[in-house]
Amino acid sequence: MMMRNDSHNRAEEYQTGTDLSDMRQGAVSSVERSANQPSKRAAKDRENVALGRGFAVVLRLIWKRGEGKFALTVMTSWVAISLISLFWTPQSLWKTDGYQVWAKPSATQWLGTDGIGADVFSWLMAGARTDLFIAVASVIFAGILGVLLISIMVSRNSALSNGSVVAVDALISIPTILIALILAVPMGASVMVVVLACGIGYGLNLARVARPEALLAANSDYVGSALSYGASGFSVMLHHILPNVMPTVMVQLSLSAGTAVLAESGLTYLGIGVPSGVPSWGHSLATSVKLIDVYPLSALWPGLIVTIVAVALNIFGDVLRDTTDPSSNPELRRS
Amino acid sequence: MSVDVKRLGVCINGKPIVRDIDLHISDGERVGLIGSSGSGKSMISKALLGLLPTNAQVSGSAMVGGIQVVEASEPVLASLRGRYVGTVFQNPASSLNPVLSVGKQIELPLKLHYDLDKVDRQARVARMLEKVGLDATIAKKYPSELSGGQQQRVGIATALITSPRLIIADEPTTALDSITQRRIVDLLVELVDKAGASMLFITHDFSVLSCATTRCYVLECGQIADSGQTAALLADPQANSTRKLVDAAHELTLQRK
Repeated sequence: MMMRNDSHNRAEEYQTGTDLSDMRQGAVSSVERSANQPSKRAAKDRENVALGRGFAVVLRLIWKRGEGKFALTVMTSWVAISLISLFWTPQSLWKTDGYQVWAKPSATQWLGTDGIGADVFSWLMAGARTDLFIAVASVIFAGILGVLLISIMVSRNSALSNGSVVAVDALISIPTILIALILAVPMGASVMVVVLACGIGYGLNLARVARPEALLAANSDYVGSALSYGASGFSVMLHHILPNVMPTVMVQLSLSAGTAVLAESGLTYLGIGVPSGVPSWGHSLATSVKLIDVYPLSALWPGLIVTIVAVALNIFGDVLRDTTDPSSNPELRRS
Repeated sequence: MSVDVKRLGVCINGKPIVRDIDLHISDGERVGLIGSSGSGKSMISKALLGLLPTNAQVSGSAMVGGIQVVEASEPVLASLRGRYVGTVFQNPASSLNPVLSVGKQIELPLKLHYDLDKVDRQARVARMLEKVGLDATIAKKYPSELSGGQQQRVGIATALITSPRLIIADEPTTALDSITQRRIVDLLVELVDKAGASMLFITHDFSVLSCATTRCYVLECGQIADSGQTAALLADPQANSTRKLVDAAHELTLQRK
């Protein structure tokens, strides 16, 4: 490149003692690299510590709020119960008793039994892990799909961005339940049907909801500035657009987690969600709802749990948005 | 780094924005580009960076440090931007990312163009902050916590951290009060001269231009209307548009002849 010779020698050093021009990408020798190793590791450690501290600060801020306490308590109990259920439930899931169907709550059957005499409490405990998996997997899937779509939708290639907007608008009009029905044709009733249907549906939704904000960031002066110092499209997306749409994404994903739990109940009731024999809250609801007139209590428990969890996740999203915003939380800026 | 623009024209959707621009900046020279709003100043700076909107048609030639930016490919332009050409923007409040700490923003161009480890980069950011007259602790702050002048200093630090050979200052003082304007201009001139870099200073204000540049071009309706030594133009404006701009500068600074 001709420019490299361009008056570099007569440039007075205003950066540091060493000339930066000799250290262009890839120019640092391996000797220098290895000499820098310990400091590099120290920097990494410091970064991890800072990250951990940031995480702790956010948790503390969430806990400070009444609704945050509720959301955190519900979510930690959910995770804890899911883990415990892997090793222990009060009664075996497969212990049934034809003489003890629809039993009232007792010392041995804490929430009574269902239509085949299995322990309702144990099934709800075990159902927690299936629903946790569904919620987490749907959110991850929706998050990846949503962020990918957002990147395409705000791309500088106008054919790509316009095309993707139309495609997302068209696809979003397909209800999640229809996606699940279509997926169930080849896959049958399975956990993956719920995860894929929710992931696709909520991913599209996320892209649609976050697009205006992403577009605002993409057309902003700071992105213009980033382009002027040579940032690539990927770097702009990673450092400038995504951090600015993160609050919306977090709230939306948190809502999606709650909706995924609800969707699991609905799809399982329809027979295309979690297959029978696999414990889930939808399964418990589906088996008990048939006799709701006679034994209303048995349908109450799974319904109540699904509702509480969905509410907690929605609240968590809102609290998370408020507590991770550095401009309104001075504590975050110190970390 | 020298810039040589010959008969540059930019049309957007067939409508000419600037045409027949001849502009030369020698190595280490500070040149001004002055014109009223809408005269096409920013379009020229965008053309020099190869950052024109996709619906723009460019004609003529623009050599930046031996590279023909009108025809250059994207990778060549990307290595030119930031590495060899630094840009300072008009509105410091909006040209800084609100959710990224100041230190990280200054560090980004360094990360893109140099293979340095994190400790080294942060040390350079701290030294750069010191050079633009800011405390090193400001690196942890967010743009919303800074004043306009401080934000523009951060903008200058971001543009200069990679030791570019050409600085394009696109109305860097317009959003600032008059005292801060003077300080920012002095800082910019000092840093550019120390580095031996060239500068293209774009503004609509002659009073700013007189201390920032030695030579300048006057732009009117997308064409160069006048050019010459800044001091000479200011003392004895010939072209109509130059006179208007000079008068405005005199009025604004309350130094009527």
